Amino acid sequence: MTGTDQATVTRGLPAAVGRLLAGVPLLGWLLGFLAAVLVERTIGDTLAQTLGLPKMPVLFGILTVSKVIAEIINAVVKNTAFDPALLVHIPAALVYLSVVYLLPIAAVARLGARAANRAAAIMDRWNLTIPAAVHIGLMYLTLHIWAAMSDYRLITLKITLIAVLLTLSLNIINGYMGEFSCSHPGFMAVGAYMSSLFTVGLFVDDKVLGKALMPWALDFLTFPLALIFGGICASVAALLVAIPSFKTRGDYLAIISLAFLFIIKSLFENLQGLGGARGIAGQPDWAALPVIFVVVGLGIWSINNFVTSTYGKALNAVRDDELAAEAMTVNTRQAKMTAFLVGAFWAGIAGGLLAHVVRYINPAMFGIQKLAEVLAMVYFGGLNSVYGSIVGAVSISLLGEALRPLEILKWIIIPLMLILVMIYRPTGLVAFRDFDLREAMKPKTEPGQRK
Amino acid sequence: MRHGRLLIAVLLCAGLVISPSVWAASDVINIGFPIPLTGDNPDVGASSKNAAEMYLKKFPTVKVGAKTYKLNFIYEDNEFKAESAVKALTKLITEEEVLAVVGPQASAQAVPAGEIANNNATPMISPWSTNPNTTLNRPYVFRGCFLDPFQGPVAANFVTEELGAKKAAVLYDIASDYPKGLAEFFKQAFEKIHGPGSVVAFESFTTGDKDFSAQMANIVASGADVLFTPQYYSEVPLIVRAAKENGFNKPIMGSDSWGSGDLMGLCGDDCKGFYFSTHYAAAGARGATKAFIDEYTAAFGKTPDDVAALTWDSLGIMIQAIQNTGGLSGDLKADRTKVKDALASIKDYPGITGKMTFTPEGDPIKCAVVVKINEQGQFAFHKSVCP
Repeated sequence: MTGTDQATVTRGLPAAVGRLLAGVPLLGWLLGFLAAVLVERTIGDTLAQTLGLPKMPVLFGILTVSKVIAEIINAVVKNTAFDPALLVHIPAALVYLSVVYLLPIAAVARLGARAANRAAAIMDRWNLTIPAAVHIGLMYLTLHIWAAMSDYRLITLKITLIAVLLTLSLNIINGYMGEFSCSHPGFMAVGAYMSSLFTVGLFVDDKVLGKALMPWALDFLTFPLALIFGGICASVAALLVAIPSFKTRGDYLAIISLAFLFIIKSLFENLQGLGGARGIAGQPDWAALPVIFVVVGLGIWSINNFVTSTYGKALNAVRDDELAAEAMTVNTRQAKMTAFLVGAFWAGIAGGLLAHVVRYINPAMFGIQKLAEVLAMVYFGGLNSVYGSIVGAVSISLLGEALRPLEILKWIIIPLMLILVMIYRPTGLVAFRDFDLREAMKPKTEPGQRK
Repeated sequence: MRHGRLLIAVLLCAGLVISPSVWAASDVINIGFPIPLTGDNPDVGASSKNAAEMYLKKFPTVKVGAKTYKLNFIYEDNEFKAESAVKALTKLITEEEVLAVVGPQASAQAVPAGEIANNNATPMISPWSTNPNTTLNRPYVFRGCFLDPFQGPVAANFVTEELGAKKAAVLYDIASDYPKGLAEFFKQAFEKIHGPGSVVAFESFTTGDKDFSAQMANIVASGADVLFTPQYYSEVPLIVRAAKENGFNKPIMGSDSWGSGDLMGLCGDDCKGFYFSTHYAAAGARGATKAFIDEYTAAFGKTPDDVAALTWDSLGIMIQAIQNTGGLSGDLKADRTKVKDALASIKDYPGITGKMTFTPEGDPIKCAVVVKINEQGQFAFHKSVCP
């Protein structure tokens, strides 16, 4: 929070909380989250039992609440029996959320703010890699402990991380370059199929792809190669769509890329050597949480570097006015091509990861539905922004999970939120915000304390 | 603030008072249903849920050993998507702590979900999935329907014995997994009986095609005695009409995909008199099958499709397996394995879609039914074919 923010909001409880928590650096927040997951690991089960919850709330209590709401709706609409004792679950979930998450996070962030600020200030003077490693290590530790408490959390977290990478890779094209591309699930499909071809074909006995070509005890070490292979193949596929389509702009590119998506999908449907409509199953279980975390981290890092480099600035120039950019010596064709290939590469990697998390792929997974999903994440979170992609992917994935008990209503609530965001923030929640790691890790000034 | 604190205190006390009633619920058996309640194919989910609700109404409790348990069914939406199926099943197994799972229905969800069930050592039975990968090398995963390598020969034998066919034609969708597989199994079986070349026309089209006259001209010219077309209910009327228009007056034989959806509403009189192989026959059913159909029709206002019937049987065999364990220990892990063992050793379970016994792979050995579409437009039992 900056000084002007504090001047405008001075009254009410939210403002008080805001004032209390101003001046907490990123390090402080991370420590707060770590404390919260440690609290949950120690007392989570006992607390849930005391509160009368059947089990530890798995997604911050939202799932518990939406389940009760679903029961109420069923009782009203379909006249099913409703157990009033279930109503207790709503306040119980809120109490749980406060005791396990909000209080420890606020307490640690507040009480540790001074120490965290001092540590952040010391680290600020060092080479960027050290504070970055500390922060990312803390973040991973927190996520690891959080996910270790339930397999459901683990799988949700894995798929959410992959969604972050996919959203960010589409944001390069739709946000930074300003074109509307619809072929992203196609690139993802290429990445998923090619990396599966690599891992299943070489190391696993499979009915479709035949016997393992190179059985090897340390085969999991080749997983990065498989992912990169998938990414490169996706880039090559992107080249095929880029060459003809960049003679067009706007709607025409959208239509060409949509056509490309259908071509890829029916290609895989008709390639009997790759399982046809039946797909490929039995990918080795190599996409563990640390692997995904590292790959997604690398993806965010390199995409952020790409979009903040001269290439990225050239892309923004092309988006805002292609003619002017051309006049200012930007090689627009090359800039667009590079962005497209980089976007497709990371989409291919995301596809490879997804194939090894779900451990099954078929062409139907990469259809128009996937496209709608990833476009929603990009536009919900915010164009032209790394933060936006993370916010969009995480919130849509988490909401999708947490509102699952509401069944069909979920498909009314999420699109409704998307519509509201489009009306009130047409470029998305956190659009056009630069992601600067050093800036994010800087110590904050506490209120009432001058630098 | 003081009111807020008071409210929390009151709620906490209320929670403590009510919680014993929640904790007393340990004599409940949870069964999970990861089914597509939303997404591309909500009818499949609705049929499964209807069948399960009907079961629960009829048998709210189950006696295992000396103890009576209350049955509790948990439906989880898998959105007809593979990733979602994985998440939904993980949630059922780890969060809802189900003893056993019935579903998912379609192979695209059942194949990845089967991996999760097997890794978590939870017995799962997919009522409707025909992909061999669903149960392959997965001791905890079973299925409720017969496989295409069995249905192909059933159709081939039927047209040979009942319709006296010596030459057959096949028309199928090359881009869709199920018709293509079945068409090939039929061809194999028919040529085994009548010698190579007895399938005189093997014509294909692509999903979404509406004009079949070129293929029909070839089929009529080939002089085939029968046409086999393993297509979905939405495509069958177009094919049947194309056949009539092009002067093909011989019988047409279909597969179980004919039986779902609104075939008669779309096809009308054109489809009457033809045959297809399927899991069970609605018209002219007897005994338990008839009771099931009558009850289902009364409750939901429509004839149960094969998904509903197979879900009913899969659920029934799962409950039978739970009963056969002779008593549950309360330790979920051990109980799940016990149920899996009991399920594998069930012999001749009398389901409404036929007697079921599982192979070691988890696929059932069960009979197929050939139905004739009669003059009233009903699917009438014609013949039962057993392996």
